[in-house]
Amino acid sequence: MNTSPFVYQRANSVDDAISLLQQHGDGAKLIAGGHSLLPIMKLRLAEPDMLIDIGRLPELQGTRREHGEIVIGALATHHQVATDQEIRSSIPLLADTASRVGDRQVRNRGTIGGALAHADAAADYPAAILALEATIVARGPGGARQIPAREFFLDFLTTALASDEILTEIRVPVPADGHGWSYQKLANQASGYAIVGVGAIAILDGSGTFDDVRVGVTGTAAVAWRAAATEAALRGQKPESGVVAAAADKVDDGVEALDDLHGSAEYRLRVTRGLTRRAILQAVARAQQRG
Amino acid sequence: MEISGQHRFSAPRERVWELLLDPKILQQCLPGAEDLVEVGPEEYEARMKIGVAAIRGTYQGKVKIVDKDEPTSYRMVVEGKGPAGQISGDAKIDLADDGEGTLVNWTGNANVRGTLARVGGRVMQPAAKMIVGQFFTCLEGKAG
Amino acid sequence: MHVPITLSVNGVERRAEVEPRTLLVQYLRNDLALTGAHIGCETSQCGACTVLLDGEAVKSCTILAVQADGAAVTTIEGLAPVGTLHPVQQAFWDQHGLQCGYCTPGMVLSTVALLADDPNPSEESIRHGLEGNICRCTGYHNIVLSVQSAAKSLASGAIPEPVLSRDASLTR
Ligand SMILES: Cc1cc2nc3c(=O)[nH]c(=O)nc-3n(C[C@H](O)[C@H](O)[C@H](O)COP(=O)(O)OP(=O)(O)OC[C@H]3O[C@@H](n4cnc5c(N)ncnc54)[C@H](O)[C@@H]3O)c2cc1C
Ligand code: FES
Ligand code: FES
Repeated sequence: MNTSPFVYQRANSVDDAISLLQQHGDGAKLIAGGHSLLPIMKLRLAEPDMLIDIGRLPELQGTRREHGEIVIGALATHHQVATDQEIRSSIPLLADTASRVGDRQVRNRGTIGGALAHADAAADYPAAILALEATIVARGPGGARQIPAREFFLDFLTTALASDEILTEIRVPVPADGHGWSYQKLANQASGYAIVGVGAIAILDGSGTFDDVRVGVTGTAAVAWRAAATEAALRGQKPESGVVAAAADKVDDGVEALDDLHGSAEYRLRVTRGLTRRAILQAVARAQQRG
Repeated sequence: MEISGQHRFSAPRERVWELLLDPKILQQCLPGAEDLVEVGPEEYEARMKIGVAAIRGTYQGKVKIVDKDEPTSYRMVVEGKGPAGQISGDAKIDLADDGEGTLVNWTGNANVRGTLARVGGRVMQPAAKMIVGQFFTCLEGKAG
Repeated sequence: MHVPITLSVNGVERRAEVEPRTLLVQYLRNDLALTGAHIGCETSQCGACTVLLDGEAVKSCTILAVQADGAAVTTIEGLAPVGTLHPVQQAFWDQHGLQCGYCTPGMVLSTVALLADDPNPSEESIRHGLEGNICRCTGYHNIVLSVQSAAKSLASGAIPEPVLSRDASLTR
């Protein structure tokens, strides 16, 4: 099974890739790991005339710590995110999420930048990226800009990135010491994609009350979201199971669930509420253990 | 695959009806419509570049308007063919007064063949909803 | 427009001009006759096409040959000299880790990569690590036994034939 023909161009730098995008317009597509793009091209759901390969640009690689943030290059593979020592110890939610993407071979090729830019409705990262309040850094002809996670995912496969912008890095603020976390996922058995995925961060104060709690949901709907109503219902409360369950029931406030062969809207919503409850309870349990 | 949705217009029902069935407006508002030609009474052929973000293809399509009940409802019989498969379907559009404005309810039933069928709902349903959404938003603009 | 590529495949330098849409698995099978890289699903699911790219297991049906330019590729044919078996291949033989054999080249290469990272994996890590390889025959039970047995024989000093690693990859 082949893609339709295209011209292949390897970019020498991010700036080179940006000018290639500008020159070739709509028909040109960036390729990083190719693990979202090539499958849809093979199905002829996409037929770009040109692929601009950014897969090896050194500028987009590597992870570093900077002022309380972990900065992850767009080309970090899922495997690298899952196994990086710094990420595992400071932002375990992200490392765990990465380790649950697809399978080993997919994790060896797929990149965090590609996954976020593609914004598949069933992608895993958006839940964690939202719960962690990460910032996405993009570079275009006019220079670099920072996009908060909340403003990044706009709709199905649609992000705040302009067509001539490149996602260069993801900046993740390290959550407070002793925070709890959890990623709960109902995976499609064949592909591993999230039918529903819920990421949660819980921070408890000295008396064991929620100081902060943040929940991101992916898979359920065309676009991932932050569960603001759930979070508001929990802040300042004791993490008792009844309180958590009632808050979790508000997770899909105003959200229209997908309804397809992987699950009806009603099923997805039930699973979303259930996984939200589990994610918060596990995050609390971890915070209590660590704190 | 079945999809449905709703859109509220602030314009009155007669005006919305007129817009929905005006080929010139359709040409402007159907996302990616390249040329829309009338091939028979209430029957159009169009080439459409449709897609969402990374997913995109050029489809050759035919639309026939049937069962018109002005200004309340009609059906569209649609046939399309493109690189990833064939689509044939049927959409029912209902218009109802809603205060000063109009409420449009639509239900589509599509039969999909080819590779499109294999990836099925996971891609098509949200994509279709987005495209219909863009269409109505454009119409809304024309309603003035 | 064809694109020139240079790869090290099973230790041999290969140069070619390929159409950009050529998949790595097609290049390996059609141009180099390395038909041990199987095509099962063509849709990135089954792992029958798994090869090692700079030492890491990847699905060669989901990589363009041009993306692999400059890299070192190991296919099942290159795991051990002709007439000998790599300890992982031997373990699959000993433990009946295969029936029809369709998934086996991919399973073996994924196992080689898995054991390079984690020489003594738990059953859970074996199953997690092989999620990208589908077997329609064995029910996986004997595959897990094969991996465990391979881990033991590697630990006890069975000499794995060298698998090309990143260090051995060609410089462009
Ligand atoms: C079998 C299989 C199972 C999978 N299972 C899962 C799963 O369980 N969960 C999950 O989340 N994902 C899953 N994936 C998707 C996988 O994670 C992809 O690797 C990822 O979504 C895309 O990353 P990539 O580097 O391969 O991007 P590519 O495919 O190279 O690119 C994807 C899109 O993003 C654009 N793009 C890429 N990089 C950038 C950049 N730096 N800036 C701007 N635009 C960019 C490209 O132009 C393209 O439109 C699966 C994939 C496969 C094949
Ligand atoms: S043929 Fe490559 S994963 Fe099945
Ligand atoms: S042995 Fe037949 S598919 Fe695995």
